[in-house]
Amino acid sequence: MEPLIEEAGLARKGESTDPITAPTGESVKKVDTRRKSPTQIALARLRKDKVAVVCASIFLFFVLVAIFAPLLAKLEGQDPTTLNQNLIDQYGYPTVAPNGEHWFGVEPRLGRDLFARWVYGARPSLIVAGSVTVITTVIGVTIGLVAGFLGGWVDRILSWVIDFVLSLPYLLFAIAVPAALLAVFVGNTENVGNDEVATVRFYSLIIVLSFFGWASLARLIRGEVLGLREREFIAAAKVLGVPTRKVLFKELLPNLVAPIVISVSMALPAYIVTEAGLTYLGVGLTEPTPSWGLTIAAAQNWYRADPLYLWIPVAAITILVLSLSLLGDSIRDAFDPRTRR
Amino acid sequence: MLLYILKRVLSAISVVIVTLVASFALFFFAPTDPAGVICGPRCTPERVADIEASLGLDQPKAEQILLYMKGIVVGREYSTGGVVRECAAPCLGYSYTLGQPVTKLIGAALPVTVSIVLGGAVVYLLVGVLAGTIAAQVRGTSLDRFVVGTTLVVQAIPYFVFALLIALYATFLPDSGYHPITENPFLWASGLLAAWLTVGVTNAASYTRYSRASMIEALGQDFVRTATSKGISRRRVVYRHGLRAGLTPVVTIFGIDLAFQLTGAIFTESIFNLPGLGQLALRAFGQYDLPVLMGGVLIGSVLLVVMNLVVDIVYTFLDPRVRLG
Repeated sequence: MEPLIEEAGLARKGESTDPITAPTGESVKKVDTRRKSPTQIALARLRKDKVAVVCASIFLFFVLVAIFAPLLAKLEGQDPTTLNQNLIDQYGYPTVAPNGEHWFGVEPRLGRDLFARWVYGARPSLIVAGSVTVITTVIGVTIGLVAGFLGGWVDRILSWVIDFVLSLPYLLFAIAVPAALLAVFVGNTENVGNDEVATVRFYSLIIVLSFFGWASLARLIRGEVLGLREREFIAAAKVLGVPTRKVLFKELLPNLVAPIVISVSMALPAYIVTEAGLTYLGVGLTEPTPSWGLTIAAAQNWYRADPLYLWIPVAAITILVLSLSLLGDSIRDAFDPRTRR
Repeated sequence: MLLYILKRVLSAISVVIVTLVASFALFFFAPTDPAGVICGPRCTPERVADIEASLGLDQPKAEQILLYMKGIVVGREYSTGGVVRECAAPCLGYSYTLGQPVTKLIGAALPVTVSIVLGGAVVYLLVGVLAGTIAAQVRGTSLDRFVVGTTLVVQAIPYFVFALLIALYATFLPDSGYHPITENPFLWASGLLAAWLTVGVTNAASYTRYSRASMIEALGQDFVRTATSKGISRRRVVYRHGLRAGLTPVVTIFGIDLAFQLTGAIFTESIFNLPGLGQLALRAFGQYDLPVLMGGVLIGSVLLVVMNLVVDIVYTFLDPRVRLG
């Protein structure tokens, strides 16, 4: 536990010296008796990590872009759906370069504004990835807690379900399930509007990713709980007659903050990639939803004629995922001193 | 030991059966209209009824599952307009749009996927283990930090973006495409080279980290100190003594990874236009070809379950502690 003491010491250094206890201007060392929770220590460590701060700012930038997408598009004076056919020549090539009116230029063939599509494209990525992360974390933690704590036949059944989900070929299912869900919710697809299909595909993507995502976290939490279950404070709570629900969420959960935070920070970039990847393959989101995956899929045919069309969404998703992954690594190092490099 | 293996086998079988029933329910109980898809735009109710009868879709749902299972175990017959087609076991039905048996389509796609995955594995195992072992030996130096930093960045680039950029811009690589190895091994290798390098480079990053961590642990063990103190050369200690112990965890990860890659080579196949299992599923998705989707999912699950089983059983031989747990 040496790193904790060292960190606590470092954290104290920044405090101003009290003028009354140090009248001569010499800093008298004051013993800080405040206790810091492991989470506070980890956060202090994280704040000192330059890579983490930069990566978090980049992530924040993309979140702001997503939130203020309509405002940014209005600032430019465009929207993501208007077809500017007058800016497209007869072969489908755009006739304008990026300019004051169209900051990133226009799409070949359809002539939609690229900047507007780019800012709106940040939304589905973050919404899908964010909601899948929240759903899988809640389900995974709950099932892991219950399985690990109750044990017995409950554990045996839940463990089997976890193993079952983990042994399914999830990419194949991610392709197959939307086909089935589409049939259930909108029926025959030939005479259905694009908007309706897009909505169903949006939710089915979240459902599929959530269904396959919770199991690994549940397994991890179950393992942790198995170890914690035998500790004295749990035994004490049980003897005091604390109800099971309270033991799970008031006693056990606070001890699981580190693995949960680490898992969330790893899951978010992974789901952003999965969403964009599946959308790129044509099995995720569909038009007219603006999405970076869709833009990349369309732009790959124009990569020579119009490289900017391809590179803007490619750069955006790479930078976003790269910064989130590096942030995840920093978070893991901050919360789990054993993995420090 | 035998009991442990038996337990694992039973659990694997139960997973496959549940997958079968669940995916069948998902695909065939949904109100899809396969007969309409096959029949096309100019269709009469009689023809739809005829097609439904020939596919067994007029039977009760529970019976359809039993028929499907029976088809897998002993084969079944399809009769279309008086012509009876024998579908030998393991029968997964006929593709709605191509009219070919699903097993034949999957049989043609599987070698492509296996070629991609195994060829890629050779690249990333060689690069990853070597880089990891070297980084472990120079731990803490700038070379080590450079290797670790590179792996972090490579790992964080979205795979499909990386593959797409290679496919678009690395034009010096031979054109990608699949040619069976039995026909022309040279053409086979050159057509897959771009895919192998892409799979290899991206996965090498994680294998570098695994082998670095496990080599650092192995090189700190007593037997390594003993070997060194006996006067064995550093190279021999690292590559003969250390690597053997250090590779065990890496091999386990590799086994599980391999299974996932067999069912997850979809991006590689799609971007490099290789007609593997994932491409087959993607095409089937576009055409609502449910038997092919169902067959792909089923074969994928069986592959995954069998590979996991093999890894578990091999691991009990490598690490006796597992058996007691």
